[in-house]
Amino acid sequence: MNTTTTIPVNRDVKAELKRQAAEMRQDFARRGTLVINVVSSPGAGKTSLLEATAKHWGGSRRMAVLVGDLATDRDAQRLAPFCPVEQLTTGGACHLEIPLVQRGLEKLGTNDFEFLFIENVGNLVCPASHDLAEHVRVVLLSVTEGDDKPAKYPKMFRTSDVVVVSKMDLLPHVPFSVEAAIADARLIQPDLRIFTVCSLTGEGVADWCEYLDERRQTLVAANAVEETASQ
Amino acid sequence: MHEASLVRSLLRQVSDLLIAHDGQAVETIRVEMGPLSGVERLLVEIAFKRQVNDSLCCGATLQIEDVPLSAVCRDCGDEFDIERFRFRCTACDSPRVQVTGGDEFRLLDVDIQTKEKTIPTQATP
Ligand SMILES: Nc1nc2c(ncn2[C@@H]2O[C@H](COP(=O)(O)OP(=O)(O)OP(=O)(O)O)[C@@H](O)[C@H]2O)c(=O)[nH]1
Ligand SMILES: [Mg+2]
Ligand SMILES: [Zn+2]
Repeated sequence: MNTTTTIPVNRDVKAELKRQAAEMRQDFARRGTLVINVVSSPGAGKTSLLEATAKHWGGSRRMAVLVGDLATDRDAQRLAPFCPVEQLTTGGACHLEIPLVQRGLEKLGTNDFEFLFIENVGNLVCPASHDLAEHVRVVLLSVTEGDDKPAKYPKMFRTSDVVVVSKMDLLPHVPFSVEAAIADARLIQPDLRIFTVCSLTGEGVADWCEYLDERRQTLVAANAVEETASQ
Repeated sequence: MHEASLVRSLLRQVSDLLIAHDGQAVETIRVEMGPLSGVERLLVEIAFKRQVNDSLCCGATLQIEDVPLSAVCRDCGDEFDIERFRFRCTACDSPRVQVTGGDEFRLLDVDIQTKEKTIPTQATP
């Protein structure tokens, strides 16, 4: 005869994916690569920020970009003059996932980068639920989108480390309160670092780049401590 | 948004459990979700109905428990629910709050039918 047995599990359905992402993140750290997942709604200025970042560094950092795009390689073409870049065609998928990142890394060939940027597909919803093994998640919020976006897309802002308020040159032309947007975002994620930039003029880009350098130094230092501890 | 693939993964995990425990069938799958799980209840239910009978979990029912977004204050230790995504301690207003639930799609437990291994002491009527 049959009986019913209850098997306790109590585990995130995505536990295996999370474990895989954590392992990759650790591998990147060991190689001294800071991975930055760049998310925003379509057209908020992700590619422009990466262009401005590369210009600011002027070849003094080893950086690469993996860029997700549904249908074209236009972003990859824009970034190609500055650094190694691989296009991750998502074939209609609304966000990137780890297997696509892995394929992009294989295509890049080498892996000795100091900074690996992953430009996600323009979308404030789905990318929030997908860990790409990044150390830093940055969400761009352009002033033309409205300052209510943090409150309307809480998961995206909750899971991010940095908010870059972009297209600051357009601020005089639109009803957007930087203070209100930041206040809403900080209610959701109090630890958010905030930068305000204009990628066209490069205003604010130096602060952003300095932050990235700091984050990478912290990552490298933490990893060095760990290596000594495990010896 | 990606409920179909999450449900596929859920069914695969439960099927593995069924095999590992040498079970006959899956009766009930209990999961929990909350405001930051990134899944929508109705879409999970639809995806489950579509997929369950093509899996080893054929015939199983899904029980979804809705949980609030819960947190603990890292300053005063207060435990509370987060309303309207306001990540502030309700006791001391500290922003140093740690989410303790409602941000995952969790598999809680599974009821499976197994063959009785011990001989029943009483015959069932
Ligand atoms: N005025 C102004 N325009 C900007 C700025 N940054 C980007 N843009 C413009 O905004 C448009 C979109 O910029 P992209 O960098 O392509 O935005 P994106 O987020 O990469 O877009 P998708 O990849 O399609 O989601 C382009 O026409 C840019 O020239 C800025 O700081 N100021
Ligand atoms: Mg782009
Ligand atoms: Zn408190």
